[in-house]
Amino acid sequence: MSDSVLELQNVCKTYGDFTAVDDVSFTIPAGMVYGFLGPNGAGKTTTIRMILEIIKPTKGSISVFGKPSALAVRERIGYLPEEKGLYKKMRAWSIIAYFATLKGMDRKAAKRRAYELLERYGLKDFADAKTEALSKGMGQKVQVLASIAHDPELIILDEPFSGLDPVNQEVMEEVIRDLKERGRTVLFSTHVMSHAERICDRILLIAGGKKVLDDTIDGARKTIPRRVRVASADPLDFLAELDAVVGLVPAETIVAIGSEKLLTFDAQLSDKGEPIDVVKACLERGVHLERFDYSPPSLHEVFVELVGDKAKEASFR
Amino acid sequence: MRPILLIALREFAENAKTKGFWIGLFLFPIIIFASIFVQELLEESTPTRNYVVVDQSGLFEEVIEDSMASMRRAELLRAIGEYQSEYAKDKPKLSDIDLEKVAAPDLMGETEAIEQATKSFGDELELLLGEQGLDAVLAQMKPLLVEDAPAFERPRPRFRRVALPEGIDASLPLTELAEELRPYLRGDRKVAGGEAVDGQVELFAAVLIPADIEQELESPGDAMAAMMAAGGQAEGAATERRGIQYWATNLADEDLKGRIDRAVTSEVHRKEYLARGMDAEQVADVRDIKVPLFSLNPNKSVGEEEVSMADKIRQWAPVGFVYLLWIAIFSISQMLLNNTIEEKSNRIIEVLLSSVTAGELMMGKLVGIACVGLVMITVWMGSLLTILKLSAGPEAEFPNMLLDVLQSGGLIPAFIIYFFLGYLLYSGLFLAIGSVCNTLKEAQNLMGPVMLIMMVPIITMMFIPKDPNGTLARILSWIPLYTPFTMMNRASADPPMVDVVGTLILLVAFTAFTLWAVGRIFRRGILRTGQPPKIRELFTWLRAE
Repeated sequence: MSDSVLELQNVCKTYGDFTAVDDVSFTIPAGMVYGFLGPNGAGKTTTIRMILEIIKPTKGSISVFGKPSALAVRERIGYLPEEKGLYKKMRAWSIIAYFATLKGMDRKAAKRRAYELLERYGLKDFADAKTEALSKGMGQKVQVLASIAHDPELIILDEPFSGLDPVNQEVMEEVIRDLKERGRTVLFSTHVMSHAERICDRILLIAGGKKVLDDTIDGARKTIPRRVRVASADPLDFLAELDAVVGLVPAETIVAIGSEKLLTFDAQLSDKGEPIDVVKACLERGVHLERFDYSPPSLHEVFVELVGDKAKEASFR
Repeated sequence: MRPILLIALREFAENAKTKGFWIGLFLFPIIIFASIFVQELLEESTPTRNYVVVDQSGLFEEVIEDSMASMRRAELLRAIGEYQSEYAKDKPKLSDIDLEKVAAPDLMGETEAIEQATKSFGDELELLLGEQGLDAVLAQMKPLLVEDAPAFERPRPRFRRVALPEGIDASLPLTELAEELRPYLRGDRKVAGGEAVDGQVELFAAVLIPADIEQELESPGDAMAAMMAAGGQAEGAATERRGIQYWATNLADEDLKGRIDRAVTSEVHRKEYLARGMDAEQVADVRDIKVPLFSLNPNKSVGEEEVSMADKIRQWAPVGFVYLLWIAIFSISQMLLNNTIEEKSNRIIEVLLSSVTAGELMMGKLVGIACVGLVMITVWMGSLLTILKLSAGPEAEFPNMLLDVLQSGGLIPAFIIYFFLGYLLYSGLFLAIGSVCNTLKEAQNLMGPVMLIMMVPIITMMFIPKDPNGTLARILSWIPLYTPFTMMNRASADPPMVDVVGTLILLVAFTAFTLWAVGRIFRRGILRTGQPPKIRELFTWLRAE
């Protein structure tokens, strides 16, 4: 692994009695696309704000590019906040150029770069429009462009997909992939697992201010047991005794074919167990399988499995 | 340093682009321009007022006529004088007039002054200003005027007597007469006379004198006696209106009423003198005797103690500056507030704070808006001086004197110093408010108390020149929030050195403290969402690391 771009050690943030972030540590190596996942109120935005030194952690240390202060390396960081907003009276290009100059870019170069980016991502015709005339989605794209205009090495995007239509979500994915291709490090938070699945190298999952998971996509999938869904008119109880299977749970769905009632079960596989073991066992006993499903768990399932309860809790709080 | 400049530049550019800024920029010169010329315009555009006089007693008609004629003569003389000085070949330059030597005039108008001075030459003037006489005067004046001087035009008279409308009997009782005249006075009907195309003009006023006016004369002793006699019924008697009646819908222009009152009263006096065996001529002479009275100022050097016109202006000009200062500080602090709220409500603030520190952001905003203010007051001052210079001349005394006072009085440097300190102080307060509020509405709630505090200088600004070094002025001067305004107010009254230096030091110290405190509030408030913090919370912010 190359040098780490970002390192958090035992970071805590409390507001009075409320703990927003509780002892979170992680390291992001250079060139990675990191998905930052977690239910609403998990502490994602607070963590991001602390990384950017907008707020100070109560405890713990953060180092960005080896420096304890993000402001010392601000020209190497790009940031898109969760709540999106622009100066209403400024023109699209000038807002991009303004933020780029604040990050240390030369004024002329910033202007050139602003037009370049607007053209590349389909906003050429709106370059000279005032931002109040732009639609929400367009405004958000302008803001994303503003956060990457100075070609930062680390880009932190808080909910970059929210509020975008499917086409623009793809454009956003493209932006992130472009950044990755050029060797940039990206940390982005999202609720939409499919985006994370498609573009992340690793994911970081937090809930209730605590880190739950920090792994690759495959690693994340392995955290919950694989299972196969089987259905048959014959009894399937024997499956529970197989080495490959650690548990057999009746599934709720009951499918009826003709007059017969089919029993459906989810068989959770052991670490060494393979789906084929289940099929083999059935064949050996002459059990007639009406249905056999196997698919690796999706990130969505991982999410629900790991933080489902906390997410529900948070939504009713 | 660079982020501060960048932020300042953006703030300046964005605010300089707003309509409000440009309106403010040009409104001031327009107001100055208007206030100088509007008086002339008003005078020129005021129509001749037509009035009727019905004197059933026959005693006063003549004296009223005489008085009006005398006024007309003075008007003409004044017009000729202005005409001559406007087109004279060798106009005296402004620099040749020493305002310090021009005595402060009485509160009397110019026309009245001329009338007073020429009182004893009534008949001669009547001749001189008649059709032929005037031509002769103008012919004599001609060689002294520039070649292309236009011909002299007689000014419109301010008042003109017209005949009673046809069909109204002058001998009717006054109540009926007034009833008949009512539609004319209200403007529903017009009377014949004047220069209007159709010979119809509006009636401005009616003066009705009852036949038995001599029985109604009052003297203080009579009034007392009448009160004693009538007891509680004195009030009822008063409503009967037994005296001269002056009817007019316009309550503001009382010149005509005053003039008729004076003319009639002096005629009554004259008769009374005769009746008591006194020589009316001698009484008039006695009344004209005047005791010379000079206003002197011990602060001025020997030989120049007399209070001049310049001194008067010096006393009152700072009021204008205080007002200007107030407007400038208030309007640009408001800009700062609006911008801060915009950044906060749009959450742009987060992007900014990931690029610059809160301190840099605050400084940048303060500097940027200060530049907006600087442009504003530079344009204001520049246009003020330009307009005054352009309109200055021997015939325009007021602009001349104002210009002179501005250039010599040290008012402008004081204005600039107090503008900057006052701006920093108040913009700091506004910035703190902006940083703890999420919407303009929330901010306006907090603005209430600040507005009340800011109203004080506006209220006191008219009192302070009357006693510029008095207790009130001194106390206000030592309250830093009011120092800029009050000291500006006192600027040309030679306040004691301890006040000037002491309040300045206090103001600088207080401003520095305010900005420090605001910096702390700003840093924490700017990221805050939800309810504005409680006052107690603000104090903990100040104390916190």
